[in-house]
Amino acid sequence: MSGAGDREAVFPTRQSLGLMKNKLKGAETGHSLLKRKSEALTKRFREITRRIDEAKRKMGRVMQIAAFSLAEVTYAVGGDIGYQIQESAKQARFRVRTKQENVSGVFLPQFESYTTEGNNDFGLTGLGKGGQQVQRCRETYARAVETLVELASLQTAFVILDEVIKVVNRRVNAIEHVIIPRTENTIKYINSELDELDREEFYRLKKVKNNKQRDNDAKELEAASKRRGSDKENTADDPGATDILGEREDQDVIF
Amino acid sequence: MEGLFFNVNGGYIEGIVRGYRNTLLTGQNYNNLTQCETIDDVKLQLSPAYGDFLASLPPNPSTSSLANKTTDKLVAEFRYLQAQAVGSIAKFMEYLTYGYMIDNVALLITGTLHERDTRELLERCHPLGWFETMPVLCVATNIEELYNSVLIETPLAPYFKGSLSHQDLDELNIEIIRNTLYKNYLEDFYKFVTENPELKGTPTSEVMAEVLEFEADRRAINITLNSFGTELSKQDRKKLYPDFGGLYPEGILMLSRADDLEGVALAVSGNYDYKSYFEQVGMSGGTSGVGNMARWWS
Repeated sequence: MSGAGDREAVFPTRQSLGLMKNKLKGAETGHSLLKRKSEALTKRFREITRRIDEAKRKMGRVMQIAAFSLAEVTYAVGGDIGYQIQESAKQARFRVRTKQENVSGVFLPQFESYTTEGNNDFGLTGLGKGGQQVQRCRETYARAVETLVELASLQTAFVILDEVIKVVNRRVNAIEHVIIPRTENTIKYINSELDELDREEFYRLKKVKNNKQRDNDAKELEAASKRRGSDKENTADDPGATDILGEREDQDVIF
Repeated sequence: MEGLFFNVNGGYIEGIVRGYRNTLLTGQNYNNLTQCETIDDVKLQLSPAYGDFLASLPPNPSTSSLANKTTDKLVAEFRYLQAQAVGSIAKFMEYLTYGYMIDNVALLITGTLHERDTRELLERCHPLGWFETMPVLCVATNIEELYNSVLIETPLAPYFKGSLSHQDLDELNIEIIRNTLYKNYLEDFYKFVTENPELKGTPTSEVMAEVLEFEADRRAINITLNSFGTELSKQDRKKLYPDFGGLYPEGILMLSRADDLEGVALAVSGNYDYKSYFEQVGMSGGTSGVGNMARWWS
């Protein structure tokens, strides 16, 4: 079925056959590589999903504690201190930096949190009452934010990996189901065309040979009958006999 | 003799207060509240006491709106009592609101310092600390103007006078200002209940003096505990302690020198009640001890 399948538009020559064979080999190598990449990414993806699950549960717990400590502050200080805190905070104490991690060619951003030590802008808040609670609340919220940062880096990795895995899988499938069959078809087509040409050529040669044979046979037959006729005449007068070695042009032999 | 003419001025108010007292939440109510699982349950439990004020809330209100409504009840009842009060009782109730005023003024000063629109701050102020000239505070755009022309007009002016200059408002931490004001306020209040001719020698004076002395001690101990690990120096800290109270003067002096929890425990050991508090919680030790202690005093 060489001509029926999907194939590339090439002239069936030996050169393009070579090209196609190279292409097929390349596609197979690429396929196996991509397949392995996709497997590595999927493994990583599963691990990240598991860690997201853990981080979310942890976040739930930590946020609960943090919210409770905020309620404690409200009770101890006896009012809303949000505004005061907002106004007295000048510098970020809790900071985030990013770095990149390379997972089989995919760059995943990772957020890393760190605290600037000795930066306590509202250390005196709640001096009269509730100062300890304010500080404790700050600590619990710092922990909560830490969990959030961790979760954020996992979520980003999750989204990016998801995207990349989709792309890689698409490529793997494209190579497996489109490029390789098409190249194979093309090779088959070229092979069959070349065979066809071979057969035609062989047939032609045979025909030519046959024709030659027939012509030769006919000629020989004619010559033989002529000789027989002249033999009879030669018996009457010999001088009519042809001189084979005489000055006479030979007919060219055509094969 | 002292109770003979009590009802002339205080009879009606006393009746009202006794009525209010009956609606206070009881131990039983608190037990029920701990069983609540949703905010609607809480609302239901509160409805005998706060029904009128909670009725307008939509089902499943936010905690802050619930808190606001319950505060509204307190404010409304307080305002009613204040309107009925005469003479020294009126003055006494005014004194009660000064604490909230200090908080509000501190809030407005913070806003002015950071050049915020102080108008939006008015909504955040505690309604009990509202005074007539408070919106005027919003007129001031810089701290000098605020000090010279606006704060002078407030009831808190005497507390600023003599202890804070307008440079202080700019430079000092707002918490220190607040606590200085509070110290002056407590001292003034104490002076009022012990020296006012109408109150001197009455049961009011006795009871309130004790309450205020405890409040003064509480603040002193709290400030000490909360200042550990901050940049507040010992001299500055000493200035924030009220100049009266059960610990004054020896305990206060020792508190001002205390460096850690043991120092505080030593300072209060002169007072039997406080000593036993410290023995109950403080001996569990460590940093959690400080937190527990602070909670005790809060």
